[in-house]
Amino acid sequence: MTDSAGHLGVTLQDFLDERLDAARQVEVREHLEGCAQCRSELAALRWVRDVALKQLPVEDVPPALAARVAAALNAADKQPVRRRWGRRAVAGALLAAAAVVLLLLVSPSGIGDTLPEAVARDFTAYRDGTLPLTLHTSDGAAVERLFAAGGAPFAMRVFDLGMMQYQLVGGRVHRLRSRPSALFVYRGPDGRDLVCQMYEGRLADLPRSDDMREHNGINFQVYRAGTVTLVFWQEGAVVCVLASDADAEAVIQLAYAKAVKV
Amino acid sequence: MSHPDPDERRRQFESIALPLMQALYNTSLRLTTDADEAADIVQETFLRAYRTFDNFRPGTNARAWLFTILYSVFANRYREAKRRPRMEAVEQLEAPANPESDITLVAAWGSRWNPEVERALRRLPEDFRTPLLLIDVEGLSYEEAASVLGCAVGTIGSRLFRGRKLLYAMLQEYAHQAGYGKDTAPDS
Repeated sequence: MTDSAGHLGVTLQDFLDERLDAARQVEVREHLEGCAQCRSELAALRWVRDVALKQLPVEDVPPALAARVAAALNAADKQPVRRRWGRRAVAGALLAAAAVVLLLLVSPSGIGDTLPEAVARDFTAYRDGTLPLTLHTSDGAAVERLFAAGGAPFAMRVFDLGMMQYQLVGGRVHRLRSRPSALFVYRGPDGRDLVCQMYEGRLADLPRSDDMREHNGINFQVYRAGTVTLVFWQEGAVVCVLASDADAEAVIQLAYAKAVKV
Repeated sequence: MSHPDPDERRRQFESIALPLMQALYNTSLRLTTDADEAADIVQETFLRAYRTFDNFRPGTNARAWLFTILYSVFANRYREAKRRPRMEAVEQLEAPANPESDITLVAAWGSRWNPEVERALRRLPEDFRTPLLLIDVEGLSYEEAASVLGCAVGTIGSRLFRGRKLLYAMLQEYAHQAGYGKDTAPDS
């Protein structure tokens, strides 16, 4: 256990990092009681591990890097996937195709969520921690730059909701049912999350809503999915939507406050 | 991991990988000591990981997987370009650092803290610095770090030991000022 000079050497590190069995730990403790040099060396190793290296600053990811990564993943998505099709793969593809046909037969409205369902699902995923943001920042301009660099094919703006006590948390270069979407998130009073999305589309493409509102000449379509309220409106070629599990009327008022007639 | 739906594949990848971007960027920054180079390496890491995501097994250690790719990208870049970060002889590491390099370092890292530790870490040879970054900073186990660096667990242990001792030797005065180890100086 000891080196030629009678000291513990690297065994001290194994002791410090709890990589020794119980019997060896006892031996090390006994040695330490009578060896000042090993005690000192152990203290030094512990200081480096637990004090010095814990002082290192944690640098934020530059917004430009987050945007570059998002753009690189988008580009990778557009590249055709080259596969070598074996017999088993072909059989699997045929089975999958058959399953799709079967699903279409039993589900005349088609496969997948409606847009409101997809937005509600994104909200829940964000709230549950399974939909990460590309960039964490309270700087609205940085989030707008993220979307611009990430290749958002439409002009978008990040709302300033500070007056309503909603603080920007960050943004994500997102896709909403396969279409590019600018997603950004706020944290509001009582820790409520507010998820906003903007995408190119038409309000008319949404399913019928039982709650249609009009404010300042702008039409709003309101949906509810469990505790989540969704408010959609049109701004030019872009559809905006707010989603939150805050009080429904409060979410609608936020939409009224931020919607712009184009 | 098979993903028939491309959107779902992307979403799953991002839910696993994006939360680790900051850790990967910080490690890349300390490996390269260059912000642009560090960003390039992180971008390449994400791209490679995304392309091979179908081989990633859910439930296995995403952190170790991504750090393995990061280190591979880093090592390949420096190997190809033959411009590995400058190495100092181990014997020279206890000499006082060049004050000019301190100024550069402080400017690069901001001025929120005392740069002694960062400076000392930067001077460590890569073989000793990388295990410190992976194990002591990023919290990987010896086994995970060995997998990332493609070497034996015993090698990781001995490099970590040497790295910690060298770092302490470089920081001894700073440690004493901070109230640590005043009584004795371990043999380094």
